[in-house]
Amino acid sequence: MFWRVFAILLGIAVVIVVFPYVKSVLVMFVFALLLAVLLNPVVDFLESHGVHRGLAILITMLLIIGIIAFTVSRIIPGIISAVESLSSKLQSNVITDLNKRIETFFAVHFNNAELARNVTSKVNEFGLKLLGNMAEFFKSVGGFLASVAIVPFVTFFIIKDIRIFKRELISKIPNKYFEMSLNVLQKVGHQVSKYIQGQATDAFIVGCLSVLGLFIINQVFDNPVSQFVFIGMIAGVANLIPYLGPIVGAVPALLVAILSNPPNLGVVLLWIVITFVLVQVIDNSFVSPMVVSKSVDMHPLTVVIVVIIGGNLAGAVGMLFAVPVTGIIKVTATEVIWGLKNYQLN
Amino acid sequence: MGNPIWEVVQFRKKRTDEDIFKILKNVPTFSELNSKELSEVEKIIHRREYKKGEPIFRMGDPGLGMYIIITGSVNIIEEREGESATTLAVLKDGAFFGDLALLDESPRSASVIAGENSEILGFFRPDFLDLLYRKPRLGIKILFSLSKVIGERLRRTNEQLSALKANEGYTNG
Repeated sequence: MFWRVFAILLGIAVVIVVFPYVKSVLVMFVFALLLAVLLNPVVDFLESHGVHRGLAILITMLLIIGIIAFTVSRIIPGIISAVESLSSKLQSNVITDLNKRIETFFAVHFNNAELARNVTSKVNEFGLKLLGNMAEFFKSVGGFLASVAIVPFVTFFIIKDIRIFKRELISKIPNKYFEMSLNVLQKVGHQVSKYIQGQATDAFIVGCLSVLGLFIINQVFDNPVSQFVFIGMIAGVANLIPYLGPIVGAVPALLVAILSNPPNLGVVLLWIVITFVLVQVIDNSFVSPMVVSKSVDMHPLTVVIVVIIGGNLAGAVGMLFAVPVTGIIKVTATEVIWGLKNYQLN
Repeated sequence: MGNPIWEVVQFRKKRTDEDIFKILKNVPTFSELNSKELSEVEKIIHRREYKKGEPIFRMGDPGLGMYIIITGSVNIIEEREGESATTLAVLKDGAFFGDLALLDESPRSASVIAGENSEILGFFRPDFLDLLYRKPRLGIKILFSLSKVIGERLRRTNEQLSALKANEGYTNG
């Protein structure tokens, strides 16, 4: 008993010590694994139609490398420059304008210049911090994407050799646990693939709906939301985080609209909020129930906690992957418990 | 000049693969496959070694797939709570069992214990379903052969049942 506890504690200590050194590799591997799960059905589909598996992987990988290259070269610098230009615009125009309005408001209604100065300084502080954080977020995502050129190669080998890895892994398992392990591994793989593919489909649909909504707003109100395609994509990706995602998705659109300062700002903001609420209603009522597996439903509190832990462990990317990774852990635990209950291991 | 050790390893591997192909060819489920198709099946089967007395699976476990004996023997045993185990059959080299589990996860109807040190091949439902999706022609061929085996078994069971009923009628009459 003592040695077992000692071994577990030693294992935890080793993980804590080693983690900072392997964090980036681990994040990349998780990313490659997620990508492999997403692309494997495409490869399987091509293979089932007579395309050689190697060629099917090559076609799929070239497609994904193209998409990643396009994203890194066009979209990310575009977003960073947009955020930076908005940041300077905010500093020069909007905050000055807002400060003046606040000072006038307090001067007229409360006759208190000191209070007005305090409030304006807080507003300035908050606005700059928010934009600073946003720029940092996009930079970290951009940096991450730029440094993951290796991901397609890892993904290629995962898709190509996953069956060999699985068979090798299974061959090392003692006879007593063999059938149970094989069955549980298959069930976990199936559930996890279904979950990840469902989440990706859901994110894609939410992204498309958000882009469509913002496009309509732009048509009606003379383009108050610039970069609406990117903002819609952010909303789609942010949707991976339940409960918090929709808010994170709506904030950039609201911010961009505020900064473009159209004459009917209030109405525009209202329509943006209505658009995102509508997207969520459609998502929760129709899309999500059809495409996302219910086996990984999580309590809102669990979501908040794992997102914070993910953020602490691996920054913005960690926050994004926290819920899917927790979902995978939950599915694995459920299936292992099922295996232990149903197989006679005595 | 080639490396003699590697050549020996290659030769052994090839010979083993050919042995496996021969064994698979004798199993009705795979008897209609050509060598290319058999090599696809070979990629997804598992080779296991069991010591004498070691269970391959237990009665009541969820069914997962079929096994083919390469060498050795296994005992098919019925285990009832509070009763002593009954040996239903002993299977030897080349025999196969558990093929119904390729179709569903119904609990195993008997336990299978290695009667001596045995080498066994396992062909399992998850791998079969994956193959069925990736290589539908090959998957359908296997499925069709499996259906024929099950159909044949059903026919024989019906014949035995009819014979039994006729016999009962004759005895009662």
